[in-house]
Amino acid sequence: MSTTKDFIVEQLKEEISGFKAEVSEKSVGKVLKVSDGIALVSGLAEAMMSEILIFKTETAEVTGVALNLEESQVGAIILGDYTAIKEGDEVIATKRILEVPVGENMIGRVVNPLGEPMDGKGKIETTKFYPIEKIAPGVITRASVKEPVQTGIKAIDAMIPIGRGQRELIIGDRQLGKTALAIDTIINQKGQNMKCVYVAIGQKESKIANIVTKLTEAGAMDYTTIVLAGASTSASLIYIAPYAGCAMAEYFLDKGEDVLIIYDDLSKHAVSYREISLLLRRPPGREAYPGDVFYLHSRLLERACKLNKDFGGGSITALPIIETQAGDLSAYIPTNVISITDGQIFLEPDLFYKGNRPAVNAGLSVSRVGSSAQIKAMKKVAGKMRLEAAQYRELAAFTQFGSDLDADTMKKLERGKRLYEIFKQDQYQPLSVAKQVAAYYALINGFMDNVPVEKIREFEAGLYKYADLNDAVLKAIETKKELDIEVEALLKKLIDDYKATVDYLIK
Amino acid sequence: MKISVQQYATSLFEAVVGKSEKEAKAAVKNFVAILGRNRELSKEAAIIAAFNETWNREHGEVMATLSSARELGPTARENVVEYLKEKTAAKKIILDENIDKDLIGGFVLRYGSKVLDGSLKNSLEALKNKISN
Repeated sequence: MSTTKDFIVEQLKEEISGFKAEVSEKSVGKVLKVSDGIALVSGLAEAMMSEILIFKTETAEVTGVALNLEESQVGAIILGDYTAIKEGDEVIATKRILEVPVGENMIGRVVNPLGEPMDGKGKIETTKFYPIEKIAPGVITRASVKEPVQTGIKAIDAMIPIGRGQRELIIGDRQLGKTALAIDTIINQKGQNMKCVYVAIGQKESKIANIVTKLTEAGAMDYTTIVLAGASTSASLIYIAPYAGCAMAEYFLDKGEDVLIIYDDLSKHAVSYREISLLLRRPPGREAYPGDVFYLHSRLLERACKLNKDFGGGSITALPIIETQAGDLSAYIPTNVISITDGQIFLEPDLFYKGNRPAVNAGLSVSRVGSSAQIKAMKKVAGKMRLEAAQYRELAAFTQFGSDLDADTMKKLERGKRLYEIFKQDQYQPLSVAKQVAAYYALINGFMDNVPVEKIREFEAGLYKYADLNDAVLKAIETKKELDIEVEALLKKLIDDYKATVDYLIK
Repeated sequence: MKISVQQYATSLFEAVVGKSEKEAKAAVKNFVAILGRNRELSKEAAIIAAFNETWNREHGEVMATLSSARELGPTARENVVEYLKEKTAAKKIILDENIDKDLIGGFVLRYGSKVLDGSLKNSLEALKNKISN
């Protein structure tokens, strides 16, 4: 016993003798006013924009961030418990810009926007900090987007290809599967050399718990970080969440790795920023959003990039999500984010309720990077698919009333029906690119023309199983990444062989 | 247009600076009349504080409060004044001294929005934080 006691005393002595009181000048202000997560502070003449401020309350120290720098006062958002702060409390400027811990150890964890663990798995050991606000990489550091992100979703990989370093918006009403698309994409990144960051902005914590379970089951948490700002979190934390997530992604970018980041969703982010701005008495504009709400999202999404070889060659692919009200794409925030991103995936209620899930609207969805982010094999089979899908829907709507159709139109309609059947895909079942190519190849080359429409999905599932059994073809597509004569012949033979085994073909 | 406290203070300063006592008195009387007409007499305290600040800034004077556990000797005080002059490039330092037994030892110097905390109390708190972490 005594050795432990002596040891402790010795330790204490060492600590104390090693302690040197440092006297340094500090910038100190006083709280003038506190309200709803906002504080007005007098003094602090040298405060910087988004500098960390420490509020010294009776019980604890609360962190805040300077957001409004005025002549004789500073407006700050409070990141902790603002009810502890009282008028007249001392506020100390730290001369540090707000930063979050980053590093390998963040992977597999659920953290809050300040990088503190939320999953009860203990402390996260990190040595590096990144500022949450950073100017996006400039022109000379960038390269054009040309490597694909395989989302594993047939409709997207074929029609709206996403490249590494692209910003592709997922937009649609509530409950149409926006998050499902994002989660499937994360699950499909397994073995694709991609780190993922999922930023939940103002989401229900039950939903996040579900997502974490699903990702863990799929083994996707081995490369994923979840930044959680739940619906009960204060507006100030929700506001910094996407920037914090982006800072965590930038750590991997700087190491030359590829990162996928999902902001779910930016409409709630804009609402939080509106709350903060109105409380800080900034003038409201359209829909009561402040004037800089465009810059709010543009500076965030501009940080998604593909760097060129000289700068490490890493990339950040951003998939922001926007929730619309009753399909209104022309509201303020949706138009803003549409104009910032390199394309959008538009989810439509009509399609969704008809059973076409994922309910991707082929006409309104685009990817401005286009086919340069597809492997050659996919380019070959999916070249005109988006156009065909959009045309089919128009044609189908047009021919609803008529019955006399010429052979050409009939053929187009039949092909379209089968195409939409192929687009159907269950949740949590992302598909490898080789299988997608096989399915599309079978479709566009007429192999499915004598398969009844209602049997297409069965046929498709059987085809994948059959291909798995003879996986030489799939391997050839995956390694060669293109359909040369050799691979094409193999694929043709595979489909023919498979067709010989099914018994529901139209004679 | 609404006139801010700072604007009132600045204009009062401009009206009285470099004037004789008699002229200044007349200017102040005028100023109060304007305040009354604008119904802003309730802002008197804020205007006086802002005027003080303006006057000190324009004349290179800095107000500072020095709290110490015991009364400072003349050399220590001289050192503090020298330190402030160097830091703020002021010509004159107006030092407001008080005794605060809570500090245990050392002193706390405040000027503008700056605090130089060299008190024993602060050091002990820092030590407490260091050990408890």
